[in-house]
Order: sequence, then structure tokens, then C-alpha cells
Amino acid sequence: MKVLGYAWLILLLVPLQVVLVDRISLFGIRPDLPLVAVCLIGLYHGEIDALLAGIAIGFAQDLFSGGVHWGNLCLKPMLGLIAGLASRNVLNLTGGFAFGLILSLSVLSGTVMYLLKAFMGPGESFFFAARGIILPQACYDALVSLALLKLLQRWWASPTPQTALSYE
Amino acid sequence: MISLQSIAGGKRAVLLLLLFLVVALLLLPESRQESLMVIGRPMATVIAVPLRGMEAANQTIDSLVNRYLALQHMREENLALRQHIARLQQENARLRETAQATTRLRDLLELQERLPYPTVAAQVIGLDSTNWYRSIVINKGRKNGLAADMGVVTTAGAVGRIVKAYDRFAIVLLLNDLNNAITGLVQRTRDEGIVEGTEKGLARIKYLPLLSTVKVGDQVVTSGLAGGFPRGLPIGNITKIERREAELFLSAEIALDADFAKIEEVLVITAPRESAQLPANPFTFQPAVPLTPAGETR
Repeated sequence: MKVLGYAWLILLLVPLQVVLVDRISLFGIRPDLPLVAVCLIGLYHGEIDALLAGIAIGFAQDLFSGGVHWGNLCLKPMLGLIAGLASRNVLNLTGGFAFGLILSLSVLSGTVMYLLKAFMGPGESFFFAARGIILPQACYDALVSLALLKLLQRWWASPTPQTALSYE
Repeated sequence: MISLQSIAGGKRAVLLLLLFLVVALLLLPESRQESLMVIGRPMATVIAVPLRGMEAANQTIDSLVNRYLALQHMREENLALRQHIARLQQENARLRETAQATTRLRDLLELQERLPYPTVAAQVIGLDSTNWYRSIVINKGRKNGLAADMGVVTTAGAVGRIVKAYDRFAIVLLLNDLNNAITGLVQRTRDEGIVEGTEKGLARIKYLPLLSTVKVGDQVVTSGLAGGFPRGLPIGNITKIERREAELFLSAEIALDADFAKIEEVLVITAPRESAQLPANPFTFQPAVPLTPAGETR
């Protein structure tokens, strides 16, 4: 069942990113939904799920990118792994923690992508990339993840467990 | 002291007197009845004051009722008209969209008919999946004869080249991407260079000869020497020339002819070398010098 869910996610996420996400772009910057999805999988389902989903989602994302190297295929599983490991040390997943974590992971992802591009071909200045892509996208990713997290917490809010004491 | 009985008897007498007076008034001839108006007119004047007030109040009530009823009717009418306007606006927008699409497709079809190379028309269905590359996704792929490195044009000129071709779609890296590089030619001076994107989303032509007489406003076209483009496809106009000391070549900034934010349909040139004769000006730009077909020597 979980595999089927991930399969649907991968099938829908990248077309969504390619076709529809431009409608919510701010100043030409679009949120990286695959990154947000992989991090949330890591936070909710642990590092193994996030690693596997990251490989599949990163691969699919690279198929639809103009880049000739497989940056997302390498990056997304790593981000999922970090998010999954981070979630182990958290008792209660709060919005602030998720915001901070995904902001940091997005900055990390952007920096690695910049370095990858700079090594492979003509590079733009890091200042320009940081100001124009890395930081705005990280903020946008963090905001989107916060909104999604709140939605998920509302949808999947489980009632307080009934114990023997509850019926006294 | 007057007894209660005497009062009752007096009251009865007054009533009888009044009754008699009323009957007498009725029996009076008409000419005599006019004399009653002497009392009636001042009384009518006094009564007229509250009467006018009542009348005004009545009119106000009448007006309010009518307005309310009219509003009820108007509200329904307004709702119906609003729905009608919304329908008309939708229809108008749809028709405008259709008209614009028709114009774009007609221009593209005309270009396709005028270009002497085999081309495949495609629609833009998406953008790059990351923010790191300026690329578009088109709805034609290998099953339609497309392959990597084929040139992509619009009615404005060259826009990019295919970097990845799948069965049913392809990824086109745009000319304003930093990683894209094609050979270009300054049309007036015939100087060749490499056109590549800049980080600001513009383009630049590099490796122009130091003694080149290139100037601002010169048209840059594809040179046809390498890549999937034939010679003579417009790229853009030079906006700024950069001459740096101790450098062996010139470079110049180019304002691209195509509006990369509004690309909706494109033509993919599937075989740029099979050119017969390039028409004088198949594109929307006006070149200073007539174009030369691919393969023709300068």
C-alpha cells in the first residue's frame, strides 16, 4: 500500500512541478516540490523511505530538467536521509522545526547544485546564485513545507488514545 | 347641586338637540348649507396640517414599499445580468484566446511553409523541473522524429536546442541559459562567434575578432556551422559591446528577438542541412542584409 502511495506520488509530483508550479512562482522562483516531498517523507516515515523515494523522485526530476548531469538523483536521497535522521531526535514534530530543517536542506541543496554546475560548465557568480536562486527558493520551500505540514497534521490528527483509565 | 338624574336628563336633552340640528341641517336648502363652510374652512385648514404630514408619511411608506418591491425584482434581475455578464466575459476570454492562438498558429504555419527545412511543430507543455536551468518541455519526442541537438525556432527566430529527447516529449534548453552555446554570426560584418546565455537571462556573443567593426544594433543570426541550426536564423540584436584590455577577442551583449517568457508553440528543425533555398525573410524581424541559405559560402 505504501509502495503504491509512493508510486502515485512520484508519478504526479514531477508533472505537477513541470506543468503547474509555474502558476505559483514568485519573481520567477518556483518551490522545489520534490525536495519538500522527500523531506516530509523523511520526517514522517524515516530515513529509509525517504532515501528510496528520493532516488525515484530525483531521477524523475532530472528527466525533466535541462541539466545534463544527474544532480537531483544524487541530492534528493541525501536530503531525505538527513531529514529522516533528524526526525529521530525529535519527540514532537513542530512547524518551526520543519521550517528550519527544510530551509537548511534547501540551502544545502542549492549550494551543492551550484557547485555541481560550476564544476561541470560555465558557472555564474555564487553571490548571484545565492541571491537569485538559492535563498529565495529555500524560503519558498520552507513556507510550502510548513503549509503542507499543517495540512498533513490536520488531516492525520489522531484522537487521544483511549486507555483503561479513560473509562473510569 | 345638580343631581345625577338631572345630568342624565340634560345629556339626553343635548343629544336630542344635536340630532334635531343634524336633521335640520340635512333638511336645509343647499344655499343655506354653504353657511356651514364658515366654520368648516378654518377647521379644514387646521386639519390640513396633520393631513399633509400623514400624506408625506404615506408617500414615504409607499415609496419604501415600492422601492423594496422594485429592489426585490432588481436583485433578481441584477443576479441574472451578472451571470450573463460572467458568461459573456468567459466567452469573450475564450474567443480572444482562440483568436490569439489562431494568429500564433497561422504565423507558425506560414513560417513552417516558408522554411526550406523539414520541421515539426510542437507545443510547450512545461518548464524546467528546477530553478537552475532555463529550459522548456515540448509535447513531441523521438516518435515524431526529434533528437538531441536539433534546433528549435519560433516566428521570432531561434530559441534553443533539444538536450533530451524521449518518446513523447523533449527538453529544450533555451538560448538564454548559461549552459547553452551555439555558433552565431553578426549579419552585417559576417564575424562569427559563440552565442551563450548569461546569468541575467540575456545572451552574449563571444570570440568576435578584435578588429571587428560590429556596432550596437547589428543583427546576430545563426552561423549554421555547428549544432542543429541552419545559417541565417535570427537570434537577436547587439545592445552592448565589451572591449577589454589584454583580451584577444571582443564580446557583445545581445537582446534576444524571441520573448522567452511567452513561448507557447515552436518549430523543431529536424534536418538543417537539407536546405534548398532560404526565402528572403521568413521571420518577423527585418534584417539589414539578406539571409543566405545553409551551406552557401560567404
